[in-house]
Amino acid sequence: MSLSTNTGSVGTPLLPPKGVSARVLGGIAEDATLSAPGVFLIILAFILPIGQMLLLSIEGASGGLTTEHFTRFLGDSYYLGIVWRTLRLSLLITVIAAVIGFPLAYVMAHVGPRLRLWLIILVILPLMTSVVVRTFGWMVLLGRGGLIPFTLWKLGLVNRNFTLMQTESAIVIGMVQVLLPFMTLSVLGVVMKIDRRLEEAARTMGASFTATLRTVVLPLAMPGIVAGSLLVFTLSVSSFITPSLLGGVRLPVVAGSIYEAATKTLEWNFAAAQSVILLVGVFLVLLPYLKLTGRRHG
Amino acid sequence: MTSTASPDASPAVSLAGIEKTFGRTKVLHGISLDIPKGTFLSLLGPSGCGKTTLLRIVAGLESATVGQVTIAGRDVTQLPPEDRDIAMMFQSYALMPHMNVRENVRFPLRMRRRGSRDAQEARVAAALETVQLGHLAERMPRQLSGGQQQRVALARAIVSDPAVLLLDEPLSNLDARLREDMQVELIELHRRLGLTTIFVTHDQEEALSLSDHVVLMNAGRIEEQGPPLAIYEAAGSRFAASFIGSANVIPVAVETVGGATMAQLPDGSRLAVEAPVAQGANHLALRQEDLMLGPDDTARSEARSFAAVVETRVFLGARVRYVLKVGDLSLKALAEPGRLYQAGDRVIVTIPPGKARLVA
Amino acid sequence: MVKAVPTSVRIATFLFVVLTLVFVLAPLVVVAGVSVSESQFIAFPPNGFSLRWYSAILTSGAYLGAAWTSLKLAVLVTLCATVIGAGAAITLHRRRLPGTVLLAGLFLSPLILPTIIFAIGLLMLWSATFGPVSFTALWIGHTVVALPYVVRTTLAVLAESDPFLEEAAATMGARRWQRLLYVVLPQCLPGLAAGAFFAFNISFDEAVVALFLRTPDLVTLPIQIYNQLEFSPDPSVAAVSTLMIGVTILLILVIDRLLGIQRFTGA
Repeated sequence: MSLSTNTGSVGTPLLPPKGVSARVLGGIAEDATLSAPGVFLIILAFILPIGQMLLLSIEGASGGLTTEHFTRFLGDSYYLGIVWRTLRLSLLITVIAAVIGFPLAYVMAHVGPRLRLWLIILVILPLMTSVVVRTFGWMVLLGRGGLIPFTLWKLGLVNRNFTLMQTESAIVIGMVQVLLPFMTLSVLGVVMKIDRRLEEAARTMGASFTATLRTVVLPLAMPGIVAGSLLVFTLSVSSFITPSLLGGVRLPVVAGSIYEAATKTLEWNFAAAQSVILLVGVFLVLLPYLKLTGRRHG
Repeated sequence: MTSTASPDASPAVSLAGIEKTFGRTKVLHGISLDIPKGTFLSLLGPSGCGKTTLLRIVAGLESATVGQVTIAGRDVTQLPPEDRDIAMMFQSYALMPHMNVRENVRFPLRMRRRGSRDAQEARVAAALETVQLGHLAERMPRQLSGGQQQRVALARAIVSDPAVLLLDEPLSNLDARLREDMQVELIELHRRLGLTTIFVTHDQEEALSLSDHVVLMNAGRIEEQGPPLAIYEAAGSRFAASFIGSANVIPVAVETVGGATMAQLPDGSRLAVEAPVAQGANHLALRQEDLMLGPDDTARSEARSFAAVVETRVFLGARVRYVLKVGDLSLKALAEPGRLYQAGDRVIVTIPPGKARLVA
Repeated sequence: MVKAVPTSVRIATFLFVVLTLVFVLAPLVVVAGVSVSESQFIAFPPNGFSLRWYSAILTSGAYLGAAWTSLKLAVLVTLCATVIGAGAAITLHRRRLPGTVLLAGLFLSPLILPTIIFAIGLLMLWSATFGPVSFTALWIGHTVVALPYVVRTTLAVLAESDPFLEEAAATMGARRWQRLLYVVLPQCLPGLAAGAFFAFNISFDEAVVALFLRTPDLVTLPIQIYNQLEFSPDPSVAAVSTLMIGVTILLILVIDRLLGIQRFTGA
């Protein structure tokens, strides 16, 4: 639902270089006025809510500060199991997305501009459709009697009642489809900037096609792959609609557990504590990502 | 604008003690300059010498840290650009991409509320005729070639009949041929309209060929100024000599022998130099085209010649460039391609009277 | 590179791309297929062909109500995000305010932080301050989520514009407000238009914030679909979903036709 690859599509500078626009034309007051609505919105409706959440995570039942919500989560093997599943699946999703995304981006970079445009449109189409719609499609495909179990049954590989729903495989399949565009566009942004003559030069120096790919393209595309992977991983650990619809209640993930506590069991302090844990985790992963893109933004 | 101006009226632009500091770096060290009405003045210098900053201070796009800017007798130091009677042509032309040619040229008249709409349109048409673009008035800028965009920018700059026209390296984005055409056209235009013009360039040929007055800047200071010929003939500093006419500048020992001043080259040979010699002048400036080459058996004239060895020859078409060795010293010479010398040939270099000058 | 790529690699590449596209597009195609089924049950390939589920949703109060909520919301969010985003992008591009880099981080942070964390914070803060969540809460929430897209697309367009236009306008006598109106805003327009379409699409499709802020009276189209999926979906869900896919395709094509989608995808 979010086309956020540009958060850091490596290379496109976000801000113009310093001092390009007028210095004397002044207008600090003008600029402050222009940006004020946005600043107010972000502070009041974004920073403050997150602050409220942080506060709730350490608020005791009878007021006062406490770490009980954290110890409850971290001390319970049930919740640790959820964390483990989330990390394991997210890692798998990231790896699969990279394995598909890199060659796809490479091909997209090397076809003509018209075909590339169509490929981009086809790749971002799932990204721009609602998560519930996409997930519904997978429910149809993976459920009992759905196209995929039906085909597998016809091939004699599984029995008639076989279903992929409520399995980790279903979560992985659904999530890879959703997150592949982030990876592809991240890598594409970098691969497009690789000087095509480098590959030709490698060929004239005796490298085969695959050797060129391995020794020239892959290392140069690495920043894009790393950025895409970090993005996919963080988006994956914080998703809950696809995992909860495809995995069901027996395969909860961290974000699903937060949703459960916030809206079903109404344990807000506990939900807040889990959110903080997710936030810290995402931050630890994103830090190198921001550094990676920040450096390029100069 | 020509009717009221008499040659001895107050200057069109007057700069007094302009200093500019960015953070901790001082980029202009007290520039003072009076520009008479109708002058075509060039600010010439290498990149980073402060010439563009000075132009932007005249425009009001930068404020001077210290000093005063007067345009047409009015102190404008504290005024923003929109309140100064100026027009500026940018290196990138800065044509409004969302306006067609006519709207672009009308923009300054519209902003400055000059006359009725009909009157404005008439002036736009006249300005476009002046740059021979009347037939392209309805085009968008992106549909024009670089040269045409340039003319639109020019039309837009002259349409408001400003007290001073500011040109920031306007020819540097054109290829060599278009550039020459544009130079001729700028001279023509200036002759016809008589607009006071400040032209910023790093190209010494351009500055010398276009302007009435050249101001050579270096490291935030005015190094020399004067009419093009005077600047060219009598550069007084090492920097001026090497920047204008790309002369060879050689460290020499100066001695006086019988009332004549001589410069001793590193290989021991002596050259008579022109008087007067400035205090502390200890470098010899020899312009490349002033080195006359002759075969080894040429009769040497006393204190005007020295021997050299040809190291490299580069054929340039109308001229030939030689790199000569005099001892350890390398000298460049531009010669007519009449007689060609090979690398390794010994030659006699003769300097015509009046061409060997000492600079500080 | 005529013979530079081995034939086997070419064939494998072709197959790979086709299979990937099938994988990526299959769920959408399946949804559209199910929507025209004649039967009561969700099945693919569909049994027969009928538009009965489309007429069913057009007479369903729940779907029509949710659609109206979503439409109202998306329009308001688009309006707010575009206006606020325009001012933000212009200031970021000018880089005159002290701490512009920090400001850029602030405006783009909703893009980087997981939406679920923001959604739960908004729910908690709103409840603590104003009581039960309302349409306004959702409106604000979606505006926050959509804002960075408007800022980004507008910045991307401004980055390609001539940095001297504003100065040139000043030397031609344009005052501050005239420069903003006649020079800067026209440069922003393509980016703002693209940002507006992104904002509309995001708000119309968004499910995370909407799920946290859902009440029986505050149900958007995606949440209505989610509710159905949690219980007993019938092909009417597919019909609604297909219509939503149609809206998305339309928006993508409009963005591309107006401005070229490649400029905004980082490629």
